[in-house]
Amino acid sequence: MNPAFLKKIKRNDRLAKWLITIGGMVIIFSVIFILVLIAEVSLPLFFSAEAKLYAKVETIRPQNILAIGMDEYLETGYSLDDRGELTFFSIKDGSELDRVQLATDGPATRLVSVESFGRLNHALLWEDGSLTIEQIQFKPFFDEANGNQRSISHQVKQRALFAANTEGSSIKTLARVSSEGRRTRVDLLENGRLHLQQQEISENFLGEEETSENSHDLELEVVGLVSTLALSSDGQQLYVGTDRGELLRWDLADSAAPELTDHLQAFDDQRAITALNMVFGDISLAVGDAQGEVSTWFPVRNDGGGRTLTRIHNLTQHSGAVQTISPSTRDKTVFSLAVDGLHLDHMTSERFLLALNPPGKLAIFALTTRGNALIALTESGSLLSWKLDIPHPEVSLGTLFGKVWYESYDEPVYAWQSSSSSDDYEPKLSLMPLIFGTLKGTFYAMLFAVPLAIFGAIYTSQFARPRFREVIKPAVEVMAAVPTVIIGFLAALWLAPLIERSLGSLFLSLILVPLSLMVSILLWQAARQIEALKRIERGFEFLAVAPIVIMAVAIAVNLGPGLENWLFAGDLKQWLFTELDTRYDPRNCIIIAFAMGFAVIPIIFTIAEDSLSNVPASLRAASLALGASRWQTVWRIILPSASPGIFAGTMIGFGRAVGETMIVLMATGNTAIMDLSIFNGMRPLSANIAVEIPEAPVDSSLYRTLFLTAVILFVMTFIVNTVAEVVRQRLRAKYGRF
Amino acid sequence: MISQPKRTNSYWRAGEPMVWLSAAALTLTLLSAAILLIVIMVNGLGVFWPSPLQRLELKDGSLVYGQQIKVEETADKSALRRQYKIANRDLYGLDFRWIDEAQILTETTPEELLVLERIEHGDFYGTLKSFEISKSVGPATLANLRQQLQIANNDLAQLAELVEKLNTASYRMEKLRLELQKLDYRKIAIEDPARVQLMDEKVRLEAQFTELVKLQTKRQAAARQAKAVFADAAGQEKSIALVDIVQAYAPNQMSTADKLLFYAYKLKELLLGEPRESNTEGGLFPAIFGTVMLIFVMSLFSFPLGVIAAIYLREYAKEGIVVRIVRIAVNNLAGIPSIVYGIFGLGFFIYGIGHGIDSLFFPERLPTPTFGTGGLLWASLTLALLTVPVVIVSTEEALGAIPREMREGSYALGATKFQTLYRILLPMASPGIMTGLILAMARAAGEVAPLMITGVVKLAPALPLDGNFPFLHLDRKFMHLGFHIYDIGFQSPNVEAAKPMVFVTTLLLVLIVLLMSSVAIRLRNKMKKRYTFGTF
Repeated sequence: MNPAFLKKIKRNDRLAKWLITIGGMVIIFSVIFILVLIAEVSLPLFFSAEAKLYAKVETIRPQNILAIGMDEYLETGYSLDDRGELTFFSIKDGSELDRVQLATDGPATRLVSVESFGRLNHALLWEDGSLTIEQIQFKPFFDEANGNQRSISHQVKQRALFAANTEGSSIKTLARVSSEGRRTRVDLLENGRLHLQQQEISENFLGEEETSENSHDLELEVVGLVSTLALSSDGQQLYVGTDRGELLRWDLADSAAPELTDHLQAFDDQRAITALNMVFGDISLAVGDAQGEVSTWFPVRNDGGGRTLTRIHNLTQHSGAVQTISPSTRDKTVFSLAVDGLHLDHMTSERFLLALNPPGKLAIFALTTRGNALIALTESGSLLSWKLDIPHPEVSLGTLFGKVWYESYDEPVYAWQSSSSSDDYEPKLSLMPLIFGTLKGTFYAMLFAVPLAIFGAIYTSQFARPRFREVIKPAVEVMAAVPTVIIGFLAALWLAPLIERSLGSLFLSLILVPLSLMVSILLWQAARQIEALKRIERGFEFLAVAPIVIMAVAIAVNLGPGLENWLFAGDLKQWLFTELDTRYDPRNCIIIAFAMGFAVIPIIFTIAEDSLSNVPASLRAASLALGASRWQTVWRIILPSASPGIFAGTMIGFGRAVGETMIVLMATGNTAIMDLSIFNGMRPLSANIAVEIPEAPVDSSLYRTLFLTAVILFVMTFIVNTVAEVVRQRLRAKYGRF
Repeated sequence: MISQPKRTNSYWRAGEPMVWLSAAALTLTLLSAAILLIVIMVNGLGVFWPSPLQRLELKDGSLVYGQQIKVEETADKSALRRQYKIANRDLYGLDFRWIDEAQILTETTPEELLVLERIEHGDFYGTLKSFEISKSVGPATLANLRQQLQIANNDLAQLAELVEKLNTASYRMEKLRLELQKLDYRKIAIEDPARVQLMDEKVRLEAQFTELVKLQTKRQAAARQAKAVFADAAGQEKSIALVDIVQAYAPNQMSTADKLLFYAYKLKELLLGEPRESNTEGGLFPAIFGTVMLIFVMSLFSFPLGVIAAIYLREYAKEGIVVRIVRIAVNNLAGIPSIVYGIFGLGFFIYGIGHGIDSLFFPERLPTPTFGTGGLLWASLTLALLTVPVVIVSTEEALGAIPREMREGSYALGATKFQTLYRILLPMASPGIMTGLILAMARAAGEVAPLMITGVVKLAPALPLDGNFPFLHLDRKFMHLGFHIYDIGFQSPNVEAAKPMVFVTTLLLVLIVLLMSSVAIRLRNKMKKRYTFGTF
């Protein structure tokens, strides 16, 4: 033979071998790769927070600085000193950029104290008792003169001015302006009184603006001394803590009559409350005490119908008394400062995010409006700025799989509610209702599918005439090919209304079908004494059963409404609601059982039938020869031999039901509830992914959580399929045939 | 008589009733499958059959024109009520109306009643009153209306040509814009000849475009001049531009042959027409085309990969732990929920590879994504992954079914392994491989969940294949029959009016999928018979 040709053949052969081997390997790797990739996307959920020191600048006279702040691009910082002078400087090198002198309407030139709140808001208390609220605003702009470089412009805006307090000099002052223009100022006076000033601007019926002013002393009946105050950003809720562990809450919504809504002993050991502040969203209150504990509280409905402040989340533990608490303006993160430094905690997940403890004690700190960086002043006069990287503080294993006490809830719950229209929303990302929904739907579907598929397979492989078998098997296989979107659509738009209309008939046919089968079997038993009839029965049973089943269903449909009238006063759904307290959803588990069962039956059927008909004929022949009846042979001999195959089929069917998406998406209500009732729907993992992923921003917590649910689905089906496959391979080794 | 109970006993003990029960299980399974098909057939086949348009006189003296949809018991179950399609959505707001049978005085089917299929607002039921056309066109009869509609259709065809030209022009303008953007990105000077040329081209195109738009507006206005006046049951008159009428027919005048013709016409529209009225009417052509393209591109990936993997498993790999693991992996791949594939496609193909391609090849278009968003390519790749196990399993089965003697004979004659594979085994296994491919295609045709997050859309502005270079646009979004069902059945504002269309789409999809899978199963069973001594 031509050696060149031989060489070519050999080369081709080697080449093919390599190519094909690589192709085979690609398959294994793709399975691993899929898992790795989706896990990799979801992993950052559990990454810990990091703070990187960005810059350090020294200041002179740090003791005079009352407030600091920084823009979110980490370029411009500012400090406010006790003369009301605002100095803007570069974060990087500390060079001064600008100076702005703040003033009040009076002659005062010195500041007594400054309280910082919200997005770079500062309430300045001047020495004459007047108070101004100033907001610093930063705006990026592209400077055309400077080659389109991004620069930051700053601006100071006075949001409110309160006249001097005439009641006496105050130790502590809080002030807020709400978005409707309502102004609230609370003073803790030197003589221990708590004074409230409110100014409300409203429009009267002529469209003119009217200003009403109210001023009160709030009654304080406390054992200890007031140690700290907190005011919500709309100025409607006032919280007071004392040095004997008492916590008070006033509702200031009605400015004419402030109402004391809570007065309780927060700590039994009477430890002092040293710091209070509202958590972002103004529902929860963060409380810091003398023993360094930080906890959050919010009003919970009590037995009397009112609401009582209740301790909800326990956050970090400091080694000394908590000095200041400050909320993030982006999420439910709480910053608390004590002698051992600054601690960051997320309220919902109760995750301790990180601690900052630089040399030289921290005196003041401030967060950027985007929450991406932090600036702090140490007592030794260093201005430190950190870049914060807190990837997903609201997610922890506890929030994903445990009960969480969300804001405004009466008790800890499992809840999935990923988004809402407002910013200060607490995302509820518990996976339990979804896993529950998946298992519930699968359970009911399997309850319907497994008996039908297995018994059907037994009949097809063992009793039906071969002629029928050759038709039935392909028919069921074709049934497996029906797209699930079609099954889901029919279930939701055809079956659901049908069942809703004739629920009584459905239950009646559940009784009537087996009953009529029993009766006909008995009747047949009597009739088959005639030899001729006996001969024809074998292998035709399933055809003979059809008219009986159809007739039973027809009778049920006709009798159903009457029965419903007679037993349940005409409306079964109403009866279920009043008597059993179950609500009937039109898209419920009955529908899912039918629809998903229908999708799963062919899978179980095919595998079970294969394994049943592959049991060696010798076993069957031997059993029949020993005088066992055909059912006894099947039940005692064939079924046990084929049971691994049947088990494998059931497992694979289970895996399919777990991951089925379109049917559940269309035929369940997609409400994430945890209720075993067969009359309502659920929200399984798969449908949840399909519903939420188009709206989830890339790399957000929701996006990653959805990838995590995909991992869970993957792992669930992986285990089930692997078990089934191992069983099947063993079976194949045993009989060598399938 | 004494032996009777004994015999009964043995009958029970022998388990005969259990045989009957298992028979009943099979019956229920088959019945439910049959019911599914019957429901789809009954609801889907009847949609295009023109049912008589009735004129109802009610007890309160009002008149209703409507086509009866169904009859059902009233809420208190004492009498019957009927659902009529009364159309004229623009006049009544609703397409359907329930009428108690007790309310109906007379029902007739007058021959002059017309059904108009309109471009907007659904059907119109009524009678023809007069024409509003400049030249006289004779009496207001259906024949004359048809003639005028024909004329209007010609106008429309001319308009369509114009629109075609407009589309081409706007496509070229978009291309130009992207070219310019690229130059911007590369910071090429304004005086650069390439840019000057492009700018000139742009000016020229813009002028052409404006000209075309003007012409179109003029022609459209002219075409809209021709109108006809119709009256509904209450006598309310409505003048409708002839170009807005897709077609007019009088169902009560039609003979069975006419109806058959009409049915055929509607079928043609369904298969080749464009959708109207947010997909609830008109044709399915873009969806069918999208599905076919998807299956085609998917097969390009999954077929070679699946066949190669199967050959490796069956012919090259040594039986052992590795092969066992690969088999488990393959079966796992088959069992992974399709939505997980979808999310993988989103995370890996779209946000991973797609973003990479965008930043490498189309950086000037960012942040507008080109490949970094769902599209035909990514959906096809995702589905290819999903269907690869189907191809592997059936190819493996087919290779395994070939008797050993064939291989040994080939080797004995001196053929190499690859020659044996290429010349002997693959041709013999080809029916099995085809089976796998067809099954994979059927799966792809029916799968929706992964597509929903990798590029399928409700209404695609352009087909993925057209006359503009490079002809096959893999980055475009596409329409799909399965998603069409989900979308119009569940997302459309008027679910009741959309139902007929959903059933028709369902019927079409079921037919396609069942046809494909029965062919595949047929092929497989044939092959099984050919090598009865083979092992599976």
